[in-house]
Amino acid sequence: MKGMPRYSPLTAVAVALALLAGCSRAPEEIYAPADYPTWERTTSITLNYPIPGHENRLRIPRMNAKGFSAIPARVGSGLKWDFPEDTVIVKEVYATANPAPGDKPVQLTIMAKDPNDKRAQAGWLWITKDLPDGKETVFTGNFCVTCHANANEKHPYGDGNSNEDFRDYVYFVPGEAAK
Amino acid sequence: MAKRQLRFRSITFTVNLFLVLALAVGVGLVMVAFTYSLLASRNQLTRSSLLQQGNIIYTSIANFMLPGDAPLAVKFVGQISISSPESSISLYRRDGVPAFSDNATIERVNTNLREAKFSPRAQAASQAARPSTPRFKEASSNPPSEVFFQESSGGNSYFRAYRPLINLPKCAVCHGSDHTVRGVIDIRSDVTSVIRTQNLTIAGGAVGFLVVVGLLAFLIGSFLRALVLSPIQSIGSLCTQVTSGSFEGRVDVRGKNEIGDLARTVNQMVGGLRERFELTKYVSRGTIGALTEGQKPQRVQRTLLFTDVRGFTAYTERHEPERVVRALNRLLERQSEIIHEWGGDIDKFVGDEVVAVFAGEDASTRACRAARDIVRLCAMRPADFDGLSVGIGAASGPIIQGMIGSERRADFTVIGDSVNIASRLCSIAKAGQVIVGDSAKAAAGAEFAFKGPFGAKLKGKAAPQKVWLLLTGAGPG
Ligand code: HEC
Repeated sequence: MKGMPRYSPLTAVAVALALLAGCSRAPEEIYAPADYPTWERTTSITLNYPIPGHENRLRIPRMNAKGFSAIPARVGSGLKWDFPEDTVIVKEVYATANPAPGDKPVQLTIMAKDPNDKRAQAGWLWITKDLPDGKETVFTGNFCVTCHANANEKHPYGDGNSNEDFRDYVYFVPGEAAK
Repeated sequence: MAKRQLRFRSITFTVNLFLVLALAVGVGLVMVAFTYSLLASRNQLTRSSLLQQGNIIYTSIANFMLPGDAPLAVKFVGQISISSPESSISLYRRDGVPAFSDNATIERVNTNLREAKFSPRAQAASQAARPSTPRFKEASSNPPSEVFFQESSGGNSYFRAYRPLINLPKCAVCHGSDHTVRGVIDIRSDVTSVIRTQNLTIAGGAVGFLVVVGLLAFLIGSFLRALVLSPIQSIGSLCTQVTSGSFEGRVDVRGKNEIGDLARTVNQMVGGLRERFELTKYVSRGTIGALTEGQKPQRVQRTLLFTDVRGFTAYTERHEPERVVRALNRLLERQSEIIHEWGGDIDKFVGDEVVAVFAGEDASTRACRAARDIVRLCAMRPADFDGLSVGIGAASGPIIQGMIGSERRADFTVIGDSVNIASRLCSIAKAGQVIVGDSAKAAAGAEFAFKGPFGAKLKGKAAPQKVWLLLTGAGPG
């Protein structure tokens, strides 16, 4: 058997498994595309007051055009928001409350509307992207959604949603900041 | 390359080993998989049940807290802990300090609200000994996660779940925004007896498994032994007997199956062998040898020995047939023994006559020894043979050996001049005499004393032949 490399069955199995694993994993989806900074902001309020989870670091939320196309339905005396599929909201989180011009965010938190994804909670994928390494992590626990449920009730931010509209788990819905 | 020594291993052993292994692996895998899935689903069930409890308590607490009914929440937590002794429910602040154990939170809230909304309690809630909180960090750090694990302490086993309480924006109004996790609900369920029962079940299952495997192996093993192995063993021992020369045994297998057929065939075969073996007694060794070595006729150097009972016809007339046959058979028997002893081969018995062939280097010497012993025997024990005695002739020379006879009945025998000479010498020998041809005498050499030579006129020979009388020291030599 000279000159011919010998493969043990184990190697074969390992190779097969590796191939299977490689094939079955769908290519990583990028939820925060490179051009997200051109998206419109969802609020003009400077979000540098402390909130749980971020303390008093500056946050800038932006949403893609798809999200801005959403129009809330009237339900009784309230409004019901339902952001269309493929809505993406990216919230930049900076290191401090008042970063110098040109400073880059240290983290992105992302909400991507994709009710058909198994990892979706309340119709949204809840993602964090640590910068600068750019690794996106989809949260499968109920941490994000638990807190964001409060967006559908009264809360202390923006207009406070005193009407308790269903805002589809989003704190700053379009037009809300104007009030 | 070293040849591997194959060790003998009985089929019984191999079969039993195989059975035990196959059963152990087969049944064992099923058992292990079953046990594993049972444990996994039980854990899963407990986990979701505990976390469900956590959710309920969480919702309850949140609903007490929001309208500012914190004291109700304190009472609630205290009461559910008491109402279920086998599960303990505790509420911790994110730093691990038991909730409501002091007035720190009340003071914080009053500060945040800039009013003394809640009045401090005079005495902090009694500090019962609380279990330690391993892995608490996982539930209280940012981001927090629900934690479920099994632990044992003080000889008891517990399932435990931590349910983090998030500092929601609505909570932050009172509690401040400087933290994400408000606290952790800790539900600990004592599963000692469940685990004990489960361990007993698993141990019982294992014992049952071993018993079943053992029993099955035993049953199948005995079944196989009865059906296959012991018949084969008895066939084997019969074959061993046959190899060592005994044809008496038979296999006692009655089954109407392949092995029964085999046993019957073997029995028939041994019967056939026995018949053939018996037949070999009546056939010269030359004939048997020829069967195995080939039957081509060939010219060979041999010494021929003829013996013949003297006065036999007269003797047969004087005595009863039984007595005649008995005496003759005894005489022939003893003669053939002596001839075999000296390496001769009985070619045939013709009535009271024995024809023997000696082959090899010292064929003549051995033929003379046999002749001497025979006449001595007759002289020493006349009573044994009813007084019968033989005359013997021996001659050596080239003869032809081959299958002589018809297709149906042939002997591997000898023909030739020396055969005739030996026969003639025998016929002229008187009782107790051994007459030896010249070449045989020369070959037998110094071991014997001879008298002669005599010139003998033999039938079919023109010139008188030179013959010798072997001095045997017995009879009228
Ligand atoms: C403790 C409460 C809390 C938790 C937990 C939380 N958020 Fe938020 N989130 C907020 C608040 C409050 C806002 C409003 C904007 C602001 O002030 O930063 C917000 C805003 C956002 C926005 C912008 C859209 C909006 O709702 O206005 C995104 C995207 C977002 N969060 C993603 C996440 C993700 C992903 C997670 C989980 C890793 C998460 N959040 C966990 C409280 C929370």
